[in-house]
Amino acid sequence: MTGPEARLGNDIVRHFAHLPEEQAVESVVRHMETFWDPRMRRDLRALVAAGDVALDPLLVLVAGRLREGVAHQETEAQP
Amino acid sequence: MTLAPEKDYGTPPVATTQTVTVTIDGHEVTVPAGTSVLRAATDAGVEIPKLCATDSLKAFGSCRMCLVEIDGARGVPASCTTPCSDGMVVATGSDEVRRLRRQVMELYLSEHPEDCDGCASGNCEMQAMARTVDAAEVRYGRPHTRDEVAHAAPVDLSNPYFGFDPSACIVCSRCVRACSEVQGTFALTVEGRGLESRISAGGTEFLSSECVSCGACVQACPTSALQEHSVVELGMPTRSVETTCAYCGVGCSFRAEVSGEGDDTRVVRMVPSKSGGANEGHSCVKGRFAYGYAAHQDRQLHPMVRDSIDDEWRVVSWDEAIDKVATGFRALQEDHGVGAIGGISSSRCTNEEVYVVQRLVRAAFGNNNIDTCARVCHSPTGYGLKQTFGTSAGTQDFRSVDQTDVILLIGANPTDAHPVFGSRMKRRLRQGAQLIVADPRRIELVRSPHVEAALHLPVLPGSNVAFVNALAHVIVTEGLHDEAFMRARCEDVDAYVDFIAHPDNSPEATAEVTGIDPAQLRAAAHLYAGAPNAAIYYGLGVTEHSQGSTMVMGMANLAMITGNIGREGVGVNPLRGQNNVQGSCDMGSFPHEFPGYRHVSMDDVRELYENLWDRPLDAEPGLRIPNMFDSALAGTFRGLYVQGEDIAQSDPNTQHVHAALRAMDLVVVQDLFLNETARFAHVFLPGTSFLEKDGTFTNAERRINRVRPVFSSKVGMDEWEITCAIGRAMGYPMQYDNAAQIMAEIAATTPTFAGVSFARLDEHGSMQWPVNEQAPYGTPTMHVGEFVRGKGHLVQTVFVPTTERTNRRFPLILTTGRILTQYNVGAQTRRTSNNVWHPEDVLEIHPSDAEVRGISTGDLVDLSSRVGSTTLRALVSERMPPGVVYTTFHHPVTGANVVTTENSDWATNCPEYKVTAVQVGVANVRTDEAVGEAHAPLETHA
Repeated sequence: MTGPEARLGNDIVRHFAHLPEEQAVESVVRHMETFWDPRMRRDLRALVAAGDVALDPLLVLVAGRLREGVAHQETEAQP
Repeated sequence: MTLAPEKDYGTPPVATTQTVTVTIDGHEVTVPAGTSVLRAATDAGVEIPKLCATDSLKAFGSCRMCLVEIDGARGVPASCTTPCSDGMVVATGSDEVRRLRRQVMELYLSEHPEDCDGCASGNCEMQAMARTVDAAEVRYGRPHTRDEVAHAAPVDLSNPYFGFDPSACIVCSRCVRACSEVQGTFALTVEGRGLESRISAGGTEFLSSECVSCGACVQACPTSALQEHSVVELGMPTRSVETTCAYCGVGCSFRAEVSGEGDDTRVVRMVPSKSGGANEGHSCVKGRFAYGYAAHQDRQLHPMVRDSIDDEWRVVSWDEAIDKVATGFRALQEDHGVGAIGGISSSRCTNEEVYVVQRLVRAAFGNNNIDTCARVCHSPTGYGLKQTFGTSAGTQDFRSVDQTDVILLIGANPTDAHPVFGSRMKRRLRQGAQLIVADPRRIELVRSPHVEAALHLPVLPGSNVAFVNALAHVIVTEGLHDEAFMRARCEDVDAYVDFIAHPDNSPEATAEVTGIDPAQLRAAAHLYAGAPNAAIYYGLGVTEHSQGSTMVMGMANLAMITGNIGREGVGVNPLRGQNNVQGSCDMGSFPHEFPGYRHVSMDDVRELYENLWDRPLDAEPGLRIPNMFDSALAGTFRGLYVQGEDIAQSDPNTQHVHAALRAMDLVVVQDLFLNETARFAHVFLPGTSFLEKDGTFTNAERRINRVRPVFSSKVGMDEWEITCAIGRAMGYPMQYDNAAQIMAEIAATTPTFAGVSFARLDEHGSMQWPVNEQAPYGTPTMHVGEFVRGKGHLVQTVFVPTTERTNRRFPLILTTGRILTQYNVGAQTRRTSNNVWHPEDVLEIHPSDAEVRGISTGDLVDLSSRVGSTTLRALVSERMPPGVVYTTFHHPVTGANVVTTENSDWATNCPEYKVTAVQVGVANVRTDEAVGEAHAPLETHA
């Protein structure tokens, strides 16, 4: 059964799909590590491992890059 | 504190740097050129009697009370209509002037009844003025009673909040002018001529007139002809407390005028403050009158618990309730992990209250599962403006619109949702600014008295990004952009220009998606880009889409490519939904950010709070509200502390939300009322209304306003004390002596709030963050000279259509919104007389869509989507475009969110409330799912 992470992840990758693949994957990984709770990242990896057919191919690539328990280090300027 | 009415200078201030010096009764005073003699005299401490003049209205010169003598001038001119000139010498109190004033006052009194309620109670400026001018005797006689007044008419008591007594009216026109100049509704007029002149609400009673009950006329009235029912009922107030409204994101300042002391304190009326930076003396029907919910009988004042949501509530002590919360949460963490619980804070609460909730979650719960109701409204604003400009907030103050030449209004309906700013916008439009409205509905600003939009572009729901890209495409390809600004201030310029110039973004290519005539769109682009100052104002019609964040960035692009950023009159301005949406976001209520929008992974920031809070803090983002629901259904999220938000009614896909709440082991609701969410709660903690709170709200223009308690907490604790008590019961010491101490901690740890304290706010009034060493009194305009992030980021805003599509089964698009008199889920306004205007939600539908379905206005109709259905009454309206229907979500009986879906903004998960594919058909009976759910009675033991 497809979890909510598939729907949410597919939504994200559709918004980066216009970029070259490597840049798109990096952008989505960065987004997920910045905003997604680790358990959601784990669940997404589990969906990939289970061969969920509802996943966008780009999302499958993203899941392979998501780091275990490490949030993206925010470096942007702050107000 | 005493009752201290604000000083009335008689005529409005003049904004110019040129000055003139005049002498009035021997006092020399220097004032801006163009200032009236009346205002200059008040400045000099000389009070000139007046009746038709007040400083919120242009001088009228009709009452002949403010007469003065001027050296070298003939006669006795009215000081309100006479501008000062350099060297002018004015005498205000000669025998001749006094005699004339007495005579004029005698004429007024000769038509004013001796039994006037206002005169007796002290609510009559004219009575006071009569004493000032020494008009003790009325040679022409005076009516003893109301009935003896010539042309006496019945008192109009139709409005639930104020009455109009024609016999007490002196036809000074202040009400008529307030309605037109301040509110911009033009509902009042003077009928008849000479002695037959009478004030009229368009020839009908107030309730059925065009009046929007903003209260401007009541405030302007110098007699008690227009008077609040509450003043009649409770008598005149004896003292006042300056505070801030708890409705929309405008954040109006009010003087709560009260009588009685201690537990007997009663609010007599709320009077908008002229010194309020956001509202400058104006108000709307909600802030001015709809405060009665604070004392409504539904208000819960005691903690309650129950073991199961099927049990009845049991009133318990605070200790027992807090203990149940703490032991329950700790047990869930022991059994299911640290991340099994979380909290939701409210944009209805103060900065101090929400700051303490996020501290509780991060330090006592030990995770980052904290979110706020901004998730479901303006989270895309935070994301989009941070990506492009570097800070998660609007760029201007409200006053900025006074310098705007072209207003681009997208997905917002200010006259309903942000009425006080809507009035300000109307005023600017009457002065000649042009307006472009991009909204599927024909909102009031498209055409209303003395206001007409230059263009109304009925953009189809879901197509905003295609629309904004098409505007930018025209601007770039037709050379309307500001090349110098782009090159100097922005980055990724070439990549953006290549992207936006692509023919796919042209008005012609996007017309099918947006529904906009390319010629109209090109005209809009020329109008916006060609203006000396063009400003974008937007609302939830932008954010509540699956591409909400992209659209916010698209609007930021538009401002950057035209150089409309970094000065007065321009900018990108979110009209925030709730009173403290901005503040709750500022205070670290998102699961990935500490206060001041600093990511939880930033080591230095985390270390700062770890040292202060004496606990290790999680470097990973936590769950957002929709993620909490999904995790609850997955079994990994088991306990929730909800402060002041009714997620069971306000969040989309009601069935999904209800199932998630049912799946949790411990739901704690802290609120004024047993709301819909409380139906799924195990512990109820009574909260406090804004009239009991001590703290600050931050409005849509980043203005930090003081909220001061009118009376002490009716539940025995302040909300931040409740939160701290939960922390302590969980073994984490949280202690503050007062709300000022919380703000001191915020200021010490949040750079943008470094210069904020209760003492400074009390001394200087409101301030707009950043407030720091560089800007000790705040920052009205952001990004002057440089963006907060350095260079502005031009983002390639690719249009990705929503997955929510119409089809044969669901051929219409539903979009939702607010109306003027109700507010969000209606928890407050439904418990006031505002129900007179909006007793139920209705479905607006275009005549052609109605006709093919056999629907007439007033018919009960079924509204169904792929996730649910509900029943409501139809309103056939040409305000709607064909194919789009609209409703509000103010009443639980309607349960509009039964039909909205789980679709959300890709970046922030803000729900896509504005796009739901639906079908509408005539209903025989009201048998919707919402009724069964929402109206199940709540059993309580009092």
